[in-house]
Amino acid sequence: MKGLAFFHFILLLALLSAHQANAFDLGTERIRLSGFGTLGVTSAGEKKFGLQKDYIHDAQFGDVSVLTDSVFGLQLDIDLLKNITATVQVVAEDRARQDFNNIVDWAYLSYRPTSNTVIRAGRMGIDLFMLSEYRNVGYAYLWTHPVVEFYKPISLSHYEGFDFKYSRRIKPGYFEFKVYGGQTGSDIKLANGDLNLRMRPFVGFNTSLEDNNWKVRLTYATTDTAFIRSPADPLLNELSHVPQSSWPQASALYNRLIGVNKQTHYYSAGFLYDKHNWVVQSEFSLMTSKWLSVNMTNGYLSVGRRIGPVTFYTVGSYAKSRDNPRVDRTQIFTQGLEGLVSAAEDLLHAVHMDQNTVSLGFRWDLHPRAALKAQWDHTWVRKHGGGLMLLKEPLDHNITLNTFSLNLNFVF
Amino acid sequence: MRYQIVITVLIILLPVYVLADIVVVVNPNSGIAELTRHQIIDIYMGRNPGIKKGQVLQPFDHPLNSVVRAEFYYKTTGKPASVINAYWARLLFTGRASPPRLVEDNKAMLKTVRENPAAIGYLEQKYLNEHVTVVYTLENNE
Repeated sequence: MKGLAFFHFILLLALLSAHQANAFDLGTERIRLSGFGTLGVTSAGEKKFGLQKDYIHDAQFGDVSVLTDSVFGLQLDIDLLKNITATVQVVAEDRARQDFNNIVDWAYLSYRPTSNTVIRAGRMGIDLFMLSEYRNVGYAYLWTHPVVEFYKPISLSHYEGFDFKYSRRIKPGYFEFKVYGGQTGSDIKLANGDLNLRMRPFVGFNTSLEDNNWKVRLTYATTDTAFIRSPADPLLNELSHVPQSSWPQASALYNRLIGVNKQTHYYSAGFLYDKHNWVVQSEFSLMTSKWLSVNMTNGYLSVGRRIGPVTFYTVGSYAKSRDNPRVDRTQIFTQGLEGLVSAAEDLLHAVHMDQNTVSLGFRWDLHPRAALKAQWDHTWVRKHGGGLMLLKEPLDHNITLNTFSLNLNFVF
Repeated sequence: MRYQIVITVLIILLPVYVLADIVVVVNPNSGIAELTRHQIIDIYMGRNPGIKKGQVLQPFDHPLNSVVRAEFYYKTTGKPASVINAYWARLLFTGRASPPRLVEDNKAMLKTVRENPAAIGYLEQKYLNEHVTVVYTLENNE
């Protein structure tokens, strides 16, 4: 019922937005109000294996949901002075934690000292990927949802801090360089409870070169896990107190599973090509960390073909953990320790990622401010490789899953 | 014979848009005599075109569903209007830039550019008059 009410709320806002179409026309007014939204219906997952598009949403266990992709956002831009603008963006969607702090996605001031430079401070969108600052704005990209294997592992939407951007046209194309710093965090949903994550310092840079038909982009970022509260804490606490003599491997496993005070490095490369009605986009990333949950590599390749107002596309993607520590079962454990060993083994399996997806879909631009999209995802998840899923029981065999999604995206 | 009739009917029914050349215009007081295609693309795609130090041009656009707008973007960028609309949604909702302000038609564009020294716009050549400066021409056979 809660889901339907939210869906009806967004439907009502979409209809109201249709009457507010001229809001988009306020391009140079001092105060500008804009909005975006998605009405989505999604069927995903199976009875015991839940699929999520990102960690902040509930997983779907084979049912049909109107909450997974549905979202509504409003953005207010106010030109305070000639070169200073204040921006606030609020986003309504299904979340693990619904509070004012999470609903305000952005709130920042931007200062443009020259036509080539912009400095911003406040709460801003995380800019790690090609879609990262607009993953909620379905109208702005091709698919029904961001590629799960690539975008789900970092379900961070914003950070508090500053950024500095320099851009100018050089001979091969339009060049941009951005450096940023601050702190970030997320409240995400796991199979057996919520996980609260705070990361600082969060620093990085990205650079891109683009011309009319192509874009290349490189990103580097690094952060420390300053605070983490997760449903696995009691187990990890127990693991840390196991005497070395009774389970020599326990301490090593604890050090791989515990997230706090671990540094993570993120590297990614992306390119976009859009010419002669062909649209090709690809991104690959590498995350290195002593924290097992985020030590991984992933990527995707998307190819689309526009035919009139309809773009047909296919996407191939993968996510894979970079290593796979196992419990050494050659040791004989006492009966009292066996429960803890099994629980640690389940946790190792639960955080391990090994899956890939092939998607087919289309986007129909039926209105200058609205698009209808449909997509089918076929996902292969390897045995003990369901780290991107919500599992009600250990994944002890390979599985395949299908996701169907139908979206109406709009902006105003 | 039957096929000839079908083809003839189709040719008659096909919509034929014969647009005049499109000219990109600025206010004469802007001091700008010409622009390159790259600079025009940068201006209409929310990027800094690097014209003169400190000089900012304010682009104006035609209604989102107008034929002249579709032609303008197709001839400059090679992309349909739907792609440009999605691109502008990206810029707007990443806080990078606001889309060009819309004017009603060719006459309104002419009036806007004439009255605003920082304005840049585009219109069908047949509406052109001496109160604006042409900085680029997109010919019909481009």
